[in-house]
Amino acid sequence: MNIDTMRRAMCLVALVLPMTWVAGSIAAQMQLAAARGESYGVAVNTPSLNQKSPYAVLPTDGATTIDRGQSVALGDYVTAQDAFAIVSGDADPSYGSNAVSSATLGTVSLLNGLISADGVVAVATSTLDATGAASDAEGSSLANLFVNGTAISDPAPNTRMDLPGVGYVLLNERNVTGDGVTSSGITVNMIHVVLQQPVIGLLGQVIGYQTVGNIIVGSATSGVN
Amino acid sequence: MSKLRNLAVLTATAAIALVAWSCDRQPNAVGPNIGTPLAHFFVFECTPFKMTGGGRIDFPPGTADMNPPASHEYETFGAHVMASGQTDANGNCLADQGALEWIDHRPEWRINGSPLNLHATEITFAEVATDTDCKDGAAHWGGKLRVQNTGQEDLDFTVWDCDNGEPGAGHDGFAISVPALDYLVACPDESLPPAEPTCTLTGGNRQFHPTH
Repeated sequence: MNIDTMRRAMCLVALVLPMTWVAGSIAAQMQLAAARGESYGVAVNTPSLNQKSPYAVLPTDGATTIDRGQSVALGDYVTAQDAFAIVSGDADPSYGSNAVSSATLGTVSLLNGLISADGVVAVATSTLDATGAASDAEGSSLANLFVNGTAISDPAPNTRMDLPGVGYVLLNERNVTGDGVTSSGITVNMIHVVLQQPVIGLLGQVIGYQTVGNIIVGSATSGVN
Repeated sequence: MSKLRNLAVLTATAAIALVAWSCDRQPNAVGPNIGTPLAHFFVFECTPFKMTGGGRIDFPPGTADMNPPASHEYETFGAHVMASGQTDANGNCLADQGALEWIDHRPEWRINGSPLNLHATEITFAEVATDTDCKDGAAHWGGKLRVQNTGQEDLDFTVWDCDNGEPGAGHDGFAISVPALDYLVACPDESLPPAEPTCTLTGGNRQFHPTH
């Protein structure tokens, strides 16, 4: 190889290499950026029943999806009317990512009327841009909620109420994830019943409780990184 | 070596020309005109963009405050649209793809026993609005939809879409019109943020991307 050929090869590499750096950098960012979202109207998770309906999940390449159920019944645990689950968003390494999930229901009844409501909205929102990452549950609400015969208005996040003989219920339950800088996520469950059974000791006394199932009504999850 | 240098110069010139051409504004491209002239959303251009997200609006009145939940006076939605800045023979800005899912929970909009559910079947136009105060970007788009409650097909719809910063709740805006149903969720009051005719999101987020 003569010197001119070598110089020409080096020059060509100098011209092409920066292009591969840019392409590689974008590809790397594309792999890192992600938006996640899912929502559902009702879910029951017990040893005998494990089901969600309606249920929507954000595709990995972003988009908008919906699932709907005009009348939903999961065993003897929960009935619901006018249930919709919607997710929308996408991952964009250049201009930011976002994910928005919502679950809405009309009339709902849990455990044969032990808990009822006639308007449930769960909204989870996550965004990531140059200023950082954040999530919120703005837009979530409960209408005409009754728990064991007691009217509950606008419950604070993570309100817990005992349900004697059943377990307990978490209202407006929120779980936040991420560092708030490069990642953020949130799950909001508007009604979450934790089914429990007592644990009996050797002398027949109650020594604790074990969880045997979960019922969730109005769940929305979003996340970005 | 001089040939290679010439090739580099030529490539750079072509690249600059390509960028300049692709970034050139096409101010005459305008989508279907629905409704009366607005102070915002009146000037459009065909440039690549993407708008994603969804959320909740409490219309009426469509302000940043939620209505009492028991009123059921709210709407929820998910929507995205993508455009690459192309135009058709009539100068309308074409959309590459998109989707709209819209639920109106108001009692007066229950049809056949369910909340009104609009499902876009085709996105026919999408353009960037350049005359709004939506600080992160705004779009005007629409197409054809189906009323899921009745099966009515091919109804025209138009959306006004505003990304006015973060968080979306209390800042971003959205409005929709379906003339065949005499259906309009819009907030034409100029004193209401973020940009009329959009109503303020009470939940969710709209995110504008100035790229395809």
